[in-house]
Amino acid sequence: MTFGRVLAALACLLLSVAHGSNSVQTPQVQVSLLAEQPHYTPGQPLWLGLRFDLLPGWHVYWRNPGDSGEAPRIDWRLPDGWQASDIHWPVPHRIPVGHLVNYGYEDSVTLLVELQTTTADAGPRTIVANADWLVCRETCIPQQGLLRLELPDSAAVDAANPRVVSDFSAARGQWPVTLGSRAIYQQVDGTLQLRVDIPAASAGQIEDAWFAAYDWGPVAPSGRQQWSRHADGLRLAIPAGEMPPTGDMPLQGLLVVSERSGDGLLTRGIRLTATPGLLPPDTTGPPGPGIALALAFAFLGGLLLNLMPCVLPVLSIKIVGLVRHADGGAARHGLVFTAGVLSAFAALAAALIALRAAGEAIGWGFQLQEPLVVLGLMYLMLALGLNLSGVFSMGSRLMGLAGQAGSRHDLAGTFASGVLAVVVASPCTAPFMGGALGFALTQPAVMSLGVFLALGLGFATPLLLLSLWPAWLRLLPAPGAWMERLRNVLAFPMYAAAAWLLWVLSQQVTPTVLAAALAGAVLLSFALWWSDLSLHNRRRQRTVASTAAVAGMGIALLATLTQNQADQPSIAQASWSADHVRALQADGRAVFVNFTAAWCITCKVNEQVALDTDRVRAALEHHNIAYLKGDWTRRDPAITAELARHGRSGVPLYLLFPPHTGQPQVLPQFLTEGLVLQAIENI
Amino acid sequence: MGIRIREQVVAMALGIVLSTATLAAVNVGQPAPGFSGIDTRGQRIALEDYRGQVVVLEWTNHDCPYVRKHYDSGNMQAHQREAAGNGVVWLSVISSAPGKQGHVTAAEADELTAQRGAAPTAVILDPAGHIGRLYGARTTPHMYIIDRDGALAYMGGIDSIVSTDPADIAQATAYTRIALNEVVAGKTVQRAVTRPYGCSVKY
Repeated sequence: MTFGRVLAALACLLLSVAHGSNSVQTPQVQVSLLAEQPHYTPGQPLWLGLRFDLLPGWHVYWRNPGDSGEAPRIDWRLPDGWQASDIHWPVPHRIPVGHLVNYGYEDSVTLLVELQTTTADAGPRTIVANADWLVCRETCIPQQGLLRLELPDSAAVDAANPRVVSDFSAARGQWPVTLGSRAIYQQVDGTLQLRVDIPAASAGQIEDAWFAAYDWGPVAPSGRQQWSRHADGLRLAIPAGEMPPTGDMPLQGLLVVSERSGDGLLTRGIRLTATPGLLPPDTTGPPGPGIALALAFAFLGGLLLNLMPCVLPVLSIKIVGLVRHADGGAARHGLVFTAGVLSAFAALAAALIALRAAGEAIGWGFQLQEPLVVLGLMYLMLALGLNLSGVFSMGSRLMGLAGQAGSRHDLAGTFASGVLAVVVASPCTAPFMGGALGFALTQPAVMSLGVFLALGLGFATPLLLLSLWPAWLRLLPAPGAWMERLRNVLAFPMYAAAAWLLWVLSQQVTPTVLAAALAGAVLLSFALWWSDLSLHNRRRQRTVASTAAVAGMGIALLATLTQNQADQPSIAQASWSADHVRALQADGRAVFVNFTAAWCITCKVNEQVALDTDRVRAALEHHNIAYLKGDWTRRDPAITAELARHGRSGVPLYLLFPPHTGQPQVLPQFLTEGLVLQAIENI
Repeated sequence: MGIRIREQVVAMALGIVLSTATLAAVNVGQPAPGFSGIDTRGQRIALEDYRGQVVVLEWTNHDCPYVRKHYDSGNMQAHQREAAGNGVVWLSVISSAPGKQGHVTAAEADELTAQRGAAPTAVILDPAGHIGRLYGARTTPHMYIIDRDGALAYMGGIDSIVSTDPADIAQATAYTRIALNEVVAGKTVQRAVTRPYGCSVKY
């Protein structure tokens, strides 16, 4: 930026000052002084906004500009007795400049200020704002403008400009919120450890979190911050700035949290005053980046999985099976088994990543929320147990036990047993690995996949090592009767797993469905025994067996399925349904619908700051507006369809239906109390 | 099992905390990191050459409005002359990368010095930004004072009022001047760290 261009910009400014306009234009930015209402009411507050419309690439600054730069300043010349508040700053962005970081705004921003008028006033008044701002791209240009507004009193009423009103609404939506969350920080070796209690934060929706201090000093803006979840909220490791807080000085600033919703990222600022205190070691929240460590620990976790009660039997059998082809075919089997394990983990990871990308709130363990899956796994465990007990032998081929080394069919069986091992392991992994894998799922797709594959590799390693060095297998006794006994013993962990899964199922379904599931189990056992008995006999008998098995499981599955569907629209009081809305409208009532989910922080924040407040409750009551909640915590096709109808694929969604008939007003995803009150007033 | 996984996670957290703790830049009271650079006369200047003398480092960029505030008003030159009068070594450092604002050749830098009546001991050209990164210089101006023992005695702004308006200089608290006088007099610097303000260094 040459000095000449700066002079040209200054000339522009002077020109606009001469005109006393409410707007100035420089080559980088247009700055306008706006009033929310086109007039003032004596004694009533009035909101003004300084709006910056920037050329692409240019930015202006937040109250703390970060490593360099300067915040805009407004010097007011107001009518006698009028008072201007400080600027209400919207949540800033981090703007990198090389390795430095600034806090500021790009594209456009409106800085709001509340004016207090006096009752003594009447007649038109003039407001002058002498604004200074620094606008930067690579280079920085200090600019200033004298902006002027003429305001009639309310005697001369003009309708508010809807564009300005919506601009002010949007600006308020970008204000940080006060949650009253407890926040504690502790300084450790140049790092500020900050813990913030946000109950809903333990869900897997947060994509990013960072902290900016209100003022220069405590925090290094360009320092790499790490964040993690803990049981009740978030924990951040923030590199301290050049003047870290001392003694019992509080740490004040904004926690900026971005969470994933079906419609992209929602970013919200939370005002914090953290007090110094002692933080216990971080025990629950897996930390942020650190891919090598994450992979290493996933690998270790995979090794540990081998000891799980539902996995050990399958693997032991597989290892014993290896003894049979310890003469060279073993290595191939080990590799094929590993491939089976990795494929299964990759498939699981891909499914989870795809579902997450589609905005589903799922984590590892989601499969156990689905009664059908639990039932299927229970049958699988039962069948494996029966097989190990020697009730039938068909499944042994599935485990790659039988057959000759190297035969194609046998290798396919080994691959299948790799897949089977992962499937069998999944109910056991969920309770133990849920947190760690949930963390993996919040990472970029490549990293999630990497963590799952590392886990799979760890899982397959013991068997792979044994197959590559079959000499170790010689440590096992020679094949013989002991193998059969071992199989029989190992059946019992499988029965235990089946019993546990039944217990899980019993929490999810009605006693009738549970009875059907148990009947299915009996029929399945019978069918497996019968099929073995008839293995060398007539075909018809085998048909009877499979029919019995299919029928038994079919009854149970059907029962589970129908109950599952009947469960979905759980009609609690004041819960949303389209019919409910229509009925209330028909009664002549307006209806406010809040589509929310337990894992959606934005929803919870909105409820706390803008919905569940005394003023909003009073306003709803006063206007006789019904308040319905649509809970999307668990997938609900009706709510998904309603979201889609309004162009959304995720919560939050707020709808305000007028009385009688008509389309609802869609409120923004970031609510403020004022915005909700205004919408209610306008109904 | 659950406990073992938890332990792994704790170990993981510790590892990350330790790795971030090593990012620290310079600290007041600690030895100022040694450096050497080429000045506008083509001479190699090393910090250790000035052991026993007080040294001021001034990050600068002649096109930055905050730098102009202090040069157009004569404030920075006044600081430099006072320093020279006290036997203080004043090194102006230009860390602008080639093609970025404030990048100059040796001849251009000398011409700027002459034109503005500046009086630094030397102007160091640091187009690769090595010295700037070493000291964590973020703004122009950004001021550092190193005492006779080679310890960093001050870092921060030239003064207290963040603006580009030369009229503010008279009202501002002249942090650098006050700190420099304290260091020269062998006293403890009262305000050893202040907010540096200005344009970003154009690395």
